[in-house]
Amino acid sequence: MSILVVESLVKTYPGARKSPPVEAVRGVSFAVERGEFFGLLGPNGAGKSTTIGCIATLVRPTSGRVLVDGVDVVKQPRDAKRRIAVVPQTRNLDRDLTVREVLTYHGRYFGLSAAEREARADRLLAELQIAEKANAKPATLSGGQQQRVMIARALMHDPKVVLLDEPTTGLDPQARRLLWETLRMLHERGTTFILTTHYMEEADRLCERLAILDHGKVLTLDTPGALKKSLPGAQVLDLWVHARQPLAPRLQALPGVLNLEPVAVGSGEGDSLERLRLFVDPADGLLDRVLHAVRDGGADLRHVNLSQPSLEDVYIHLTGRELRE
Amino acid sequence: MTAFLALLRRDLVVTSRHAGPLLLSTLTQPVLVILVFGNILPRLGLVATTFGTIMVPGLMAITMLMAGVQGVLIPLSQDLSGSREVDERLLAPIGVFEVSLERIVAGAVHAAAAGLVAGPVMIVLMHNVGAGDVRPHWPLLLPLVVVCGLLSAAFGLTLGTQVQPRFAGLLFAVVLGPMMLFGCAYYPWASLAKIGAVQYLFLLNPLTFVSEAMRLAVTPNAPHMPVPLLLVGLLGFLAFFTIVGARSFEKRTIL
Repeated sequence: MSILVVESLVKTYPGARKSPPVEAVRGVSFAVERGEFFGLLGPNGAGKSTTIGCIATLVRPTSGRVLVDGVDVVKQPRDAKRRIAVVPQTRNLDRDLTVREVLTYHGRYFGLSAAEREARADRLLAELQIAEKANAKPATLSGGQQQRVMIARALMHDPKVVLLDEPTTGLDPQARRLLWETLRMLHERGTTFILTTHYMEEADRLCERLAILDHGKVLTLDTPGALKKSLPGAQVLDLWVHARQPLAPRLQALPGVLNLEPVAVGSGEGDSLERLRLFVDPADGLLDRVLHAVRDGGADLRHVNLSQPSLEDVYIHLTGRELRE
Repeated sequence: MTAFLALLRRDLVVTSRHAGPLLLSTLTQPVLVILVFGNILPRLGLVATTFGTIMVPGLMAITMLMAGVQGVLIPLSQDLSGSREVDERLLAPIGVFEVSLERIVAGAVHAAAAGLVAGPVMIVLMHNVGAGDVRPHWPLLLPLVVVCGLLSAAFGLTLGTQVQPRFAGLLFAVVLGPMMLFGCAYYPWASLAKIGAVQYLFLLNPLTFVSEAMRLAVTPNAPHMPVPLLLVGLLGFLAFFTIVGARSFEKRTIL
């Protein structure tokens, strides 16, 4: 049996004064297996945090069902809460307690015996490399350290599923890498993680399977490898051009070009700049033919990028937009 | 229940770490008022010595109300701040209603402690002036302090969850200030009969019942409200504010 089942989850927030209701999640379904590292990938506003909130009992679903280890989170929230832990997006450590107390009080909330909570706090402080901060107040810790305390706190009651909501947002690259290592270590030991992120690299490195979300819906769900393989062609060629006439028909006809998609370019990069995305199979002279076709079309080529397909390409392929806002 | 007690323990431990400043902030005002109106002015012959007898229970009531409101309002503003510390409570294996009840109980402990400290301090300050008629009846005082503490804290939860934090200053000026003046703290409710039916308007103020409860327990010889009316008022307001406060707490925290 899956450790987490999300079925046709819908959440509509009532609109604040005069504004229309917000459909944050519009029929999301997925299942996560025991011991899996599962990802929800998507831009801000895709419905990731709302989905996590519904699983965590902090957001009341409009409709649909969430089962954690067979327990319905709406009907039996207390039993569900024993099985889940949340590492929230905002750092919400209890500012009146020391780091060690944050962990031991969390243990108390979940009814751990004194011996148990002290032993677990010691072990987690050591494992997450925050032992030397045990008696400090959370506010004196760096962002990365606070994040690790939140993970330690989440693990105190030995949850079945740990929900990580954008855990590395706002961390510097070094702290991010350290956190990734920690998460991988914990995962190897059998912890089930559900991670939301808008960092492609993070999703690619950590997640065994992931769902790509956009506008409250799951666009696709698979392993990162399979998602990348689902793209046509073996490579992605991006062209940024100023074109006076449409280039697409010309490029699409070239041998080796399997597919062509225009990509919406973020504002501020000039109105007439176009981004064309070509899914190509590398063949002799392909680049040369493309450059010729651009020149013959009377277009001005500004920038070129040839790469292996990444999760970002999968996202662009599915939505026609870049992930970054 | 384990989670409830653990949360309560956390709150009491944290509060006790700041006990000094907290007591100072709730006690300073009423204690100084009693010093002026219960000691200096009677000695100057400007007010009757019996005024102190009337004021001691009233000021205990004000102290408890303010301590209860603050005891809930301050942690609540932290809870509901951008960092959402409240989520740690909501994720404990406990219902949302119990989370808000725990807030009320913690605030009530704060209020009761403030009230029980304020009483004796005021009696000492009025020594040899007008405190002769202040005779705490403990078996009555203790349960009434508990109920009044809970009522004050439940009122604080209602205010804290209904009013945006940026209006907190307004809250003190427009709600709590008038409440204190028209809450029968400085005059017994029974003697308001002299001004006619307006007397009954004072029953809309929860502080009236807290003041009268303290009057019953501390100055049994001063005129006070009939006990059945007192109990209905106290328990009615307690139930009302607990339900309204807990509901709006849930609305504010569970999206």
